[in-house]
Amino acid sequence: MTNARGRALRRTAVGYGLLAPSMIGIGLFLIIPVLVAIAVSFDSWNIISPPKWLGPQNYISVLTDPDVWHSFLVTAQYTLLVIPTQTILGLGLAVLLSKRLPGTPVFRVIFALPWICAPLTLGIVWKWVFAPTGGLLNAIIGTRVEWLTDFSLALPAVSFVSVWTQTGYVALFYLAGLSGVPKDIQDAARVDGAGEVGVFWRITMPLLRPTTFFVLATSIISSFQVFDTVYAMTGGGPGAPGRTDVIAHRIYSLAFEQLDLGKASALSVILMIGLIVLTVLQQVYFRRRITYDVAN
Amino acid sequence: MSQPLSFNRRKALGILGAGSAGALLAACSPSQQADQGNSGGNSTGGSGDKVTISFRLWDDQVQKAYQKAFTEFTKQNPDIEVKTNLVPWANYWTQLPVDVGSGAIDDLFWTNSSNFQQYADAGKISDVNSLLGSIDDAWVKPVVDQYTYKDKLWGIPQIADANGIFYNKSIISDVDPKIISRIGKLKWRPGAGSGDNLLSTLKMLTVDKNGKAATDAGFDGKNIKTYGYNAAYDLQAIYFPFIGSNGGRWQQGNGSNKFVFGSDPKTVQAFEYIVDLINKYHVAPSAADTNDNGDFSLNQFLQGHMAIFQSGTYNLANISDGAKFDWAIARNPAGTAGSFGVASGVVVAASAATKNTDAVKKLLRFLGSADGNKFIGESGSALPAVSTAQSSWVDFWKAKNIDVQAFVDAANGDTIPAPLGTGGSASSDAYDPILKEIFLGRTPVKSGLAQAEAKANAAIGH
Repeated sequence: MTNARGRALRRTAVGYGLLAPSMIGIGLFLIIPVLVAIAVSFDSWNIISPPKWLGPQNYISVLTDPDVWHSFLVTAQYTLLVIPTQTILGLGLAVLLSKRLPGTPVFRVIFALPWICAPLTLGIVWKWVFAPTGGLLNAIIGTRVEWLTDFSLALPAVSFVSVWTQTGYVALFYLAGLSGVPKDIQDAARVDGAGEVGVFWRITMPLLRPTTFFVLATSIISSFQVFDTVYAMTGGGPGAPGRTDVIAHRIYSLAFEQLDLGKASALSVILMIGLIVLTVLQQVYFRRRITYDVAN
Repeated sequence: MSQPLSFNRRKALGILGAGSAGALLAACSPSQQADQGNSGGNSTGGSGDKVTISFRLWDDQVQKAYQKAFTEFTKQNPDIEVKTNLVPWANYWTQLPVDVGSGAIDDLFWTNSSNFQQYADAGKISDVNSLLGSIDDAWVKPVVDQYTYKDKLWGIPQIADANGIFYNKSIISDVDPKIISRIGKLKWRPGAGSGDNLLSTLKMLTVDKNGKAATDAGFDGKNIKTYGYNAAYDLQAIYFPFIGSNGGRWQQGNGSNKFVFGSDPKTVQAFEYIVDLINKYHVAPSAADTNDNGDFSLNQFLQGHMAIFQSGTYNLANISDGAKFDWAIARNPAGTAGSFGVASGVVVAASAATKNTDAVKKLLRFLGSADGNKFIGESGSALPAVSTAQSSWVDFWKAKNIDVQAFVDAANGDTIPAPLGTGGSASSDAYDPILKEIFLGRTPVKSGLAQAEAKANAAIGH
């Protein structure tokens, strides 16, 4: 009994020992920054001088600031424009790439390239493409359109660039998901008389739910954190409050332009809580519908 | 099998959500975007007996001049080495507070008048009086005044900017050679009223894609081939000189940093005139082109698509290097109060956290002397702020057959004070989007300025 207990303890120690490097990384680069952000959210801090305890005032200020609510609205609009579009396009692209046509591996790399590139760099390039004078897009269509300063066009333009960047990335996940769909189930459906559309909607899509859950969860989180593209293309504008002033840009503005780290941290914590709630809700919704490996 | 997978994913996504949102501040940090200069680093230590001082600035042209100056300084002081750290203007003012706050700031750094007070108030920079004991009479007085706060000077003057217009003689001669003689006598009046000759001149010089001037019937203001002027949302080059030349004010003055630009009728008139040049008369590029692209007008001028480019000494080297046509310099258009520039200088401030105080003092004495400051003048990159070193700058441009007398006159002429003590970027972040809308012509000038003034004052506690 003692020997068995000793072996168990040793196994536990070895397990924790093997986990230690990862746990140190997670602690240093994930948990500690989150705890610091939470602590700062209760302070008044302009970066230059030492922080002063303020209590919940930053949360009250942020939640009663109409500009913050405007930023949440803009971010929600951005999310609604980007997520359905990139998910549908990514799925369609994955279906095409799964057909194993000639040149497919090359196209997989090409479609993933925008996602690999630095968003800030892409934003600068796209800013030139959309420039009213000397811009590539206006040169092609032969008319002057002020894409990034027009109230109705700025957010769709930024959203378009995000979709362009992310679609290949989404397609890669769906491609992996499609490769895991058991062929025998699809064949059985065909034998039973189902057409290709029916097989896709009634067999393939339900089996892709784990992939869809992952894609949606990570995409929604990243869309609520979009910053680089907006910063490079519009700087949150046009207008006051800005038509593309997404929540991450507002956090940046509070922290590094207005030098109000306390409010910026409070808003970050609110965003974090919101995203956790959103992710849990998605998890609950999908858990009821997800079918994992049916072979077991 | 599904349960463990579900559990693991839920936990993983929980951590992912928490981590990614919590790390947002770090991800947004301007340090992620800073383009460190060639010398990089914030070295304050030394190797062996040698002390290394780091020096931060935003101008790559002046950086080259400083490197020559520092070589000379190290010859005189073999135990001190100086390294420059170039942080581009676009990131400078967001990077600086982060580095000052974290203690990663260079021993010496450039600052402007909008920003130095907050570092002085926080005890992050040392005043010149306590470091060097006295102020040199050769330092340009407007710059000394600009950086004197609470009866102390907070930096050694390095650069004194002067304003003026660059004009393309080829474009103007092609339209009408007589206009050349008018360029140095341009006048503007509110609403282009009696005595104004700026608007009529710009209309003659602005030509659309069909070859019609802005004076012609059927002129297409949406498709310009040659712009007359660079009226734009540009504080130093455009709207401050216009405000000053109309007798207007940006801030209350007399020790108060309260903004008054929305309630001062003369300032409102100046903005109305500039905005009309853009949106009513179309003699300047659309704000959609210039609001977020500070180099648009410079590039148009260098490409020969703009007749008159109002700017300052800070663009002289760019134009000298890039212009492939005949050009010259003249004074800014005069308003009812005369021709105005901006009293704007750059100083080098000493970090209070430096561990090399003695070496820093030696370097500051050198940079504040004619012998140290002349390197900036000799490079032609900027007008030195040590008056006894300014002749080096004039001589440099004379040797290139460029007459800079208009800038010298402007440096000694009427000026409006640059923004002072504006809480870093806090106030500009408040008024900036509204002013951009005004320049785009979508927000009326008067009500927009009033709204911007209220927001800017709220941002600095007024």
